[in-house]
Amino acid sequence: MSQISVALSVDARGLSCPMPVVKTKKALDGLKSGDVLELLATDKGSAKDLKAWVSSGGHQLLDSSTENGVFTFYIKKG
Amino acid sequence: MSDVTQVHHMTPAEVKTKLDTGDKLFILDLRNTEEFDTWKIESKHPVPIINAPYYEILAEADDPEDIQGTFATYARANWADRLPMDADILVICAKGGTSAYAAEGLQSLGYRVSHLEGGMIAWGDFYDFKPVVESEAFSVYQVSRPARGCLSYVIAAGGDAIIVDPLRHIERYLEFGKSKGLNYRALLDTHGHADHISGGPALAERLSIPYYFHPYDAIHPIDVLPATIKYEPLRADQDLKFGAIELKALHIPGHTLGNIAYLVNGEYLLSGDSIFIESIARPDLGGRGDVWSPIHYQSLNRLLSLPDETVVLPGHFSHPAESNGEGLYAGPLGTLKAQNEGLKMVQKDQESFVNYLLASLPTFPPQYVDIKRVNAGLLEPDEEKASELELGRNICALSQAYKE
Repeated sequence: MSQISVALSVDARGLSCPMPVVKTKKALDGLKSGDVLELLATDKGSAKDLKAWVSSGGHQLLDSSTENGVFTFYIKKG
Repeated sequence: MSDVTQVHHMTPAEVKTKLDTGDKLFILDLRNTEEFDTWKIESKHPVPIINAPYYEILAEADDPEDIQGTFATYARANWADRLPMDADILVICAKGGTSAYAAEGLQSLGYRVSHLEGGMIAWGDFYDFKPVVESEAFSVYQVSRPARGCLSYVIAAGGDAIIVDPLRHIERYLEFGKSKGLNYRALLDTHGHADHISGGPALAERLSIPYYFHPYDAIHPIDVLPATIKYEPLRADQDLKFGAIELKALHIPGHTLGNIAYLVNGEYLLSGDSIFIESIARPDLGGRGDVWSPIHYQSLNRLLSLPDETVVLPGHFSHPAESNGEGLYAGPLGTLKAQNEGLKMVQKDQESFVNYLLASLPTFPPQYVDIKRVNAGLLEPDEEKASELELGRNICALSQAYKE
């Protein structure tokens, strides 16, 4: 995975729906267009929903990975 | 951000009761569209339902941390003319967390609203026990898993009981047995299931009682590997007796090669996957539909020679509309012969029937191969994997009978 420059990192590990999406939305609201947000989450359901939301919300999912039950997303604000 | 404290919840059992009685209900399902399309709460009486993924609603939030307020604002703007003031609204999500916030938001607008406790996961694991006939001398209980369309049976007589096609949440059967004072004597599967994980081997081990199964289904049809589970092999048309419970294991290959229908006390036909209320079982889950179709024809023909008054109790249903006035999936064989499209084709002739079958084959869910492996003891999934394998409604019947 290439080095991605992150403007903000959100740790939503251990949180269940809807918290990961809530925290992501709040964080993205505070960023400029083009900024990249790093999100860490453990809730499987939220991970699926986040992917669906990112694309329909006009943002871009640059990369995503899973390791030891932790999902890491890199979201570029649209 | 305030925590949710003052919102009503409904348990899956309460939801089922409401659906059965036909009370006015409106459902708001906050899950993503893919999940909603795969499986959702269904009812015999049509229930209005909106699917609105929660993250799309939260995406419009001015203050994302005021979750209740976000839902209230969205509801006022988008659903004012759809949400009823004179009926209960049930809000659902995958696990129950999000729906609680949404319900509180709607409540602040004056709606009569509850959320589904435990979400769709809880609905998916909910089992409903209903008596088909109940007396001290003899009882038959139909155990349904509404989310999946699976049916299993507890048969009891004078305190002894057996379970046919037990599903994998064995605690449900143990609790039920305790509540009715039943002494389980045996577990029986009608066949090697492809759509769900059998609770037979686990219950057999827990209670140290035999688990009956036909040996043809103890060979995985695609892997061609023998089962490793411990079981009592059934012989074709074997007579079984457990206390005052008498049943005959009719060997009816077709859906599987070891397919069995249990004729109980000469009155009730626990047909497993052969005859359903509105359809018949598919012949292709072993990967050989064209070869098994004529065999399926002969077996179904044999079942049709039973008396018309025989009460058919199937192993699956595709939609609650198949249930009768008492919410049971049951029907006299004579009625099914006249109304069931698949059975009408059986009564035509073998060639027409085989053509009909092969033209009606639904999709083959890939997880069915794994589920059959689990049931043969060739695969041992953990709870999470087991849950994942069983997701969604069963596709055991031919599709043609079900018109959307």
